Amino acid sequence: MTPSSPRLNELQLAALARELDAIEAEARADLGEADLAHIRRVMRVAFVAEVAGRGLLAFGVDPLSFVLGTGALTLSKILENMEIGHNVMHGQYDWSRDPELDSRAYEWDIVSPSASWRHAHNFEHHTYTNVLGRDRDLGYNLVRVSAEQPWNPGYLVQPLTALGLGLFFEWGVALHDLRLEELRSGESSPREVWARARPFLRKAGWQLGKDYVFFPLLAGPNAPRVLLGNHLANLGRNLWAFAVIFCGHFPEGAEVFPEADLEDESRGHWYLRQLTGSANIEGGRAMHLLSGHLSHQIEHHLFPTVPAWRYPEMARKVREVCARWGLPYNTAPLGTQLRSVARKLLRHALPTRPRRPEPEPTAAEAPTPARPPIAA
Amino acid sequence: MTSPLPRLPRLPPLPWLSARDRLADAARRLFLDRQARFWLRALDPLLDPSGLRARVRRVVEETADVRTFVLEPGPGWRGHRAGQHTTIEVPIDGVLTRRCYSISRAPGALAITVKRVPGGRVSGWLHDHLHAGAVIGLSPAAGDFVLPEPLPPRPLFLTAGSGITPALAMLEELARRDALGGATLVHHARSREDVIARGWLEGLAREHAGFRLVPLLDDAPDGPPGFEPQRFRALVPDFAERATFLCGPPGLMTRVEALYASAGASGRLRRERFVAARPAVSAPSAAARVRLARSGQTVTLEGPGSLLEQLERAGVRPEHGCRMGICLSCRCEKLAGVTRDHDTGATSEEPEPIRLCVSTACSDLELDL
Ligand SMILES: Cc1cc2nc3c(=O)[nH]c(=O)nc-3n(C[C@H](O)[C@H](O)[C@H](O)COP(=O)(O)OP(=O)(O)OC[C@H]3O[C@@H](n4cnc5c(N)ncnc54)[C@H](O)[C@@H]3O)c2cc1C
Ligand code: FES
Repeated sequence: MTPSSPRLNELQLAALARELDAIEAEARADLGEADLAHIRRVMRVAFVAEVAGRGLLAFGVDPLSFVLGTGALTLSKILENMEIGHNVMHGQYDWSRDPELDSRAYEWDIVSPSASWRHAHNFEHHTYTNVLGRDRDLGYNLVRVSAEQPWNPGYLVQPLTALGLGLFFEWGVALHDLRLEELRSGESSPREVWARARPFLRKAGWQLGKDYVFFPLLAGPNAPRVLLGNHLANLGRNLWAFAVIFCGHFPEGAEVFPEADLEDESRGHWYLRQLTGSANIEGGRAMHLLSGHLSHQIEHHLFPTVPAWRYPEMARKVREVCARWGLPYNTAPLGTQLRSVARKLLRHALPTRPRRPEPEPTAAEAPTPARPPIAA
Repeated sequence: MTSPLPRLPRLPPLPWLSARDRLADAARRLFLDRQARFWLRALDPLLDPSGLRARVRRVVEETADVRTFVLEPGPGWRGHRAGQHTTIEVPIDGVLTRRCYSISRAPGALAITVKRVPGGRVSGWLHDHLHAGAVIGLSPAAGDFVLPEPLPPRPLFLTAGSGITPALAMLEELARRDALGGATLVHHARSREDVIARGWLEGLAREHAGFRLVPLLDDAPDGPPGFEPQRFRALVPDFAERATFLCGPPGLMTRVEALYASAGASGRLRRERFVAARPAVSAPSAAARVRLARSGQTVTLEGPGSLLEQLERAGVRPEHGCRMGICLSCRCEKLAGVTRDHDTGATSEEPEPIRLCVSTACSDLELDL
């Protein structure tokens, strides 16, 4: 762990875990029709926006309908990916047994196939959040976001790399899930990589076919307009997802952890790692909804299977816990977090050096909560 | 030794045969299917292409604790035979929950008749929340508790409580086909007021001379209650020669089964059970046996830990990731049995997917592994 957060001993970690568990249990006990009403309302908006967007693009002739159509399509894609797809695939609605909200059955409107993304994301990223060498989402192997990642001259151009990754984020995520680098290291045989690549290629083909062939052709003479609108909507969605996700893990203050931390890791330490490895974005309801509530990345990492629209309410309790335990709670408006990520990307483009590790804590040094934790 | 047959080259699928499937596949990959579902459902929930639906037309108060829900099925409904049942699906606190109900009307109409079970989750919800206009899910009609063809000459119906529902459908069918003449219904209820569809039954007895209606009422001054063997033999001396349809609570069923067995007439008895045998719920520490549906193997789970750990110890290697309930890699269909999810604290009694790494067995199980 990097030194900015206080170090807790195992007893304190267990108490912390009990408090966070209690917040989750309370939310879970309340699950019901309100959660389904929420997600179905968002789905309704996304469906209507998609039809409206595609309609305006296909049938309009003026620039205004082009702008509105592209906007509506972008909105629908953002909602579908962020609030619906991502959260459904986390199993946040599995309890309802609704086949349309089943984490295994859901397929999203993005080039990476759900099944491979689910494994890479739900397992590797959420279990090993910000652990060097284990969380492959740490900089997506393309950019260097901490001094602990070994430097090479390629990182000198990483501000440009990051921009490219932002524009083609869905492709970045999909390629990332293929783990091509394992081919070079010998961890995966070409056959294994091919087995991973096939579903991706098939899905990507259909995705390209949909937005760049099928819908443009359907519009007849308006094909170029539809093609451009679809492309802009994809780019817009990509940039937005990239911004939200980078702000969630890589602003200043978000910590990275050595692999040794995983050994016999307690629930409390896992919680602490999620808490200190994530960052929130402050904003209004629109910000939360459009980010799929990843504006509450901290709560999402603490409670990944709780319906995300409950994070704002849970955040109040999490912040109270953090304040009492003297734990950092990284939150700032979008602009601040983006600037912070940009600074980090610029700084680590150069060969920065990691800080020295701190000595092990003793019980006396570790902080005690201001008042006794609630008994579970 | 027989020589192996030469292996034929596999022919490519005929394009026109799978055109429909291919179209459906393409629609799914272009995400047109969910748009179509959404708009059809907005137009009329009965048109929902993702499953059969029915709209509640009317709710009829049968007795103090029994209601009939008259249903109008969507276009996918393929009809039923008198005596069959359907599985309905309703959202209770947002959770889709299923239960079986016999169809209480003859083909051509659709209705279910539900008794409120004390503490019952679904029957209570149906009574309290299901009103005219609501739309519910249902499965195609199923079951072989039906009138045989050709119709038996003197059918005998032995029912109790809500067990009368499939008999109502069969009696209606017999009446419609003018074959009610030799039929007898022996029905057990607490009191006259508790007899479901009493008015209709009495009318039926008036109109069809040969139809015999025998109510056995707990509050009647004469005779012992229910299907006491001696009384039953006196009431229907020729029972062993008649095609018999039995439906009621487990106690009654066992008693009548014994009676028919002793008369050597078990072959004449058709039965419908309303209660699925509940798995014996064991203490969490007890060893549970798990049938693995895909491999056909059965293993015994012992010792501490989650189902995932116990299965691994038994030599089964289910897919997994985080081992702490967040990645869903270990999510697998539980086909039968009761488990407890230690993450949510919920007990799972019905067939549904569970997370092996945070669940423990509360009974013997069947898993889709
Ligand atoms: C083929 C078939 C046809 C049927 N037809 C009809 C019909 O026409 N009309 C009708 O009214 N019913 C019918 N049933 C019964 C119906 O399906 C339901 O079982 C019934 O309505 C009770 O469901 P519930 O959800 O209300 O009760 P549940 O919540 O399932 O509880 C049922 C009873 O078990 C008790 N119980 C609950 N949980 C447990 C547990 N873990 N261990 C032990 N006991 C427990 C409850 O207190 C209650 O007494 C039929 C069933 C079948 C299988
Ligand atoms: S192994 Fe990850 S949820 Fe069970």
